[in-house]
Amino acid sequence: MVAMTMVIVVVAIFVLYPVFYLLQAAFDVGPAEVRPPAAYGFDNFSALGKYWEIMLNTLVVTFAATIMALTFGFLTAWILTRTNVPFQRTLEQLMAVPYYVTPLLGALAWNFLGAPESGFINQVWRAGGGQGALIDITSAVGIAWVMALFEGSVAFVMIGAVMKSMDPALEEASQMSGAGRWRAMLRITLPLVAPGVLGAAIFVFAEMLGSFSAALVLGTPARFYVITTAIYQFVSQYPPRLPLAAALGVSLFAVMFGMLYLYRRITANRSFVTISGKAFRPRAIDMGWLRWVLFAVCAGYVFLSVLLPIATLVFASFQKLAVAWPAADNFTLDNYRTALSLNAVRSALSNSLFLGLLTATIGVVLTGLLAWIIQRSRLPGRGVLEYIVMFPQAVPRLVFAFGMMWAWLAFPIPIYGTFWILLIAYLTVFLPLGVRTISGVIMQLDKSLEECGQVCGASWSFRVRTIVAPLLWPGILAAWLLIFVASVRELGASILLMGPDSKVMTPAIAEAFFSTSSELTAAMALIQTVVVAAAMVVFTLMTRRAAVHGA
Amino acid sequence: MADSDRAPEIEVEDLVIRYGAVAAVGPVNFSVTQGEQLTLLGPSGCGKTTTLRAIAGLERPTAGAIRIRGDTVFDASRRINMPAERRGLSMVFQSYAIWPHMTVFENVAYGLRVRNASAAEIDEKVRHALDLVKMGAYASRNASQLSGGQQQRVAVARACAFSPKVLLFDEPLSNLDAKLRAQMRIELRELQHRLGVTSVYVTHDLEEALAMSDRIIVMRGGHIEQAGPAADIYNYPRTAFVADFVGSANLISGRLRADLARDGLIALEADAGRILYGEARGREAGPTPTMSVRTVHLQLNATQPAASINVWPVRVRRTVFLGDLTQVHVEWGGRELVVRQTASTAPAEGSTAYLSIDPARCVLLEADAATEAEQAPPPPTPPIVADLPIE
Repeated sequence: MVAMTMVIVVVAIFVLYPVFYLLQAAFDVGPAEVRPPAAYGFDNFSALGKYWEIMLNTLVVTFAATIMALTFGFLTAWILTRTNVPFQRTLEQLMAVPYYVTPLLGALAWNFLGAPESGFINQVWRAGGGQGALIDITSAVGIAWVMALFEGSVAFVMIGAVMKSMDPALEEASQMSGAGRWRAMLRITLPLVAPGVLGAAIFVFAEMLGSFSAALVLGTPARFYVITTAIYQFVSQYPPRLPLAAALGVSLFAVMFGMLYLYRRITANRSFVTISGKAFRPRAIDMGWLRWVLFAVCAGYVFLSVLLPIATLVFASFQKLAVAWPAADNFTLDNYRTALSLNAVRSALSNSLFLGLLTATIGVVLTGLLAWIIQRSRLPGRGVLEYIVMFPQAVPRLVFAFGMMWAWLAFPIPIYGTFWILLIAYLTVFLPLGVRTISGVIMQLDKSLEECGQVCGASWSFRVRTIVAPLLWPGILAAWLLIFVASVRELGASILLMGPDSKVMTPAIAEAFFSTSSELTAAMALIQTVVVAAAMVVFTLMTRRAAVHGA
Repeated sequence: MADSDRAPEIEVEDLVIRYGAVAAVGPVNFSVTQGEQLTLLGPSGCGKTTTLRAIAGLERPTAGAIRIRGDTVFDASRRINMPAERRGLSMVFQSYAIWPHMTVFENVAYGLRVRNASAAEIDEKVRHALDLVKMGAYASRNASQLSGGQQQRVAVARACAFSPKVLLFDEPLSNLDAKLRAQMRIELRELQHRLGVTSVYVTHDLEEALAMSDRIIVMRGGHIEQAGPAADIYNYPRTAFVADFVGSANLISGRLRADLARDGLIALEADAGRILYGEARGREAGPTPTMSVRTVHLQLNATQPAASINVWPVRVRRTVFLGDLTQVHVEWGGRELVVRQTASTAPAEGSTAYLSIDPARCVLLEADAATEAEQAPPPPTPPIVADLPIE
């Protein structure tokens, strides 16, 4: 009981303390050096009016990206759940891969492909007699395209879940009433799926509002800013304009918070209508020869979001100067040689892995405990706790890190600029990820499995050891892996919080992109990808072996 | 001391369970004597499972007290709430709650391991428990490979293995199909007798309740509607709700004719002036006096029976063949009565017959039953099959 209360207090401090400082900074209109602030007001917010262009950019990018991501998600979800597309199983598994390819990787790769001058696609276009640039990946729509490619798989998972959970009897009832298949689709399927799609739309929109890496890599060199990159600019430029950054961050956070609240409302009302708790295999519509076209659509999505970007980076990283045409005298291994010899890369990579290991291990214990308290305990404050834990979801990581920067600067123990602030930041921002993953497993577990142990006379710790932990094990492993991957590739929070002696990999890659050659950056990004993938494989093999030995 | 083996094993006193403003249970009072098999019977949402879980310690009541073998395990006013694991009870769950990551043996051994039993003792008791439920051959089986019926047996074995004094059953048979349910009912009853344990059994199934218990408590809306031996509940329902929920009954309303009462019987004048004699059993009639007449107690005769009371000529409207039984709808004083009888003697539709009933089978219902009857008059044609499962 005492332990639980302590966990709750610690989590509340982790989450709410930085938010408090963020708000304080946003409303601070007194002299910059005086802390705590001498005067409060809305001046920082009214000063944002000058930057209307940034807001407009953000809206254009976010809307375009949301529409594209939803289109990808809806199409692929419909194809994979409701039609007789060939290789359905394989495609469905492949659809998860874009999520593991970081948006930063995608942005770097698409920069090689679609930059107006040097982009491979434009080089081929001009070689073929075209004029100017065929595509411009640094434009608003270009940035949105890259963002949408990677968020598309999130939309796919969300919309696919809704389509899968629909009882086919609902459609069959329509058919038995004499309505044709298309009428059933229009009058029954669409209205039932609509709330889920709307929910996905809002969720994706909020994620896009807070996304950072694609706009940083593709927009910043051409001075095209969205809110997140503008905040980064305000913080990192000299002299920094911190109150303005705070006000911008608070505004963004307010909008995202509103959207996620809306999302929760919509999905909460929907759940019982279409989901009956059973797993259905909805009837597949026979598409005839068209099914090969649908196959091409899904395969094309995976190609554009995974294969093409990685192939491009591999291709570019072996060149002295990245061009569309391979040439023997342009081939080099120097990029890898340099990347591996850079002290920054070596320490950043090992720092990242170590941090990921630490975050994931502490994270699963923490989030496991929290998920259990939220789902199963009868503590009076658990409803509030759920909101606190899910809170970081509504704050872009960059904005959250900004709050943390201020909060821990004011903290008596000097951890700012060290490794530990990154650990605290990761643990905090990945709370929702871990809690959601483990909660999902806890909810699937019949409550009476544990109650039965209790009635058999087992104490709490004995039950946890013999029943709860073994049954949650797969969920805990999944959460560990997710948190590990998320930590190692984290950019938004790390880029603000890492100090000169605590460099981590992803921000180091972003920095390299701005300060060194993009070919070297490509090599660094690939090294990171390979190392992370190898770490995941090792972890999976280790846990599988442990499971075999344990059984 | 002869008295001690009839001492109360479980006492439930003024138990109230609320969820926020919603009162789920109570206040209810009852006790279970040693070795008794008690059933809590009622429709879903009546609070029977909640009451059982409160006894187990899985639900925290709002008020009242619970004592097990004289020890107070819960008392709201004294702030006592012993956790479930220390109450020494055992329970069979509706979902069976068989741990999927353990073998059948390990599942059954769990309670013994908790009690630090020796390996030899565990082995012996688990074998014994598995043999009791005829699952001895499955000990090394993985629990996730069992069928529903097998899981149910393992759940029972697990609940008995550490020789608890009290067994709680939360609708243990509701997930089985009808045939298996009927079989398990008998087996469970035998097992209870053999072990001689006290048991509290929760179900919404009438036949299960009648077959499994010495005593039944019928619950409704969180309150006890009637408590008593199974046969009493069936033969002498106290309210319209019990009459209707336990078996199928005709509810006949009218006014009491004290002037016609005789031989200790009361007389009820129904709508068309028909007089029905029955027993009051010490009950007070409500504003609309109502009697309950079981559909299976009504007799249809081709010739006029000798009895002078409770005999009427009726016209047969409809006969419905239900397999073991035939349900006959007859016209009786402007309304319809339902008669259930064995299939072979069914009269033809449209024919005339004599309807008769033993006055001892007609019971007066209590006050709240009458108001209930007023608000919702008994439907002229009760549902044909819903209330009596055909197996």
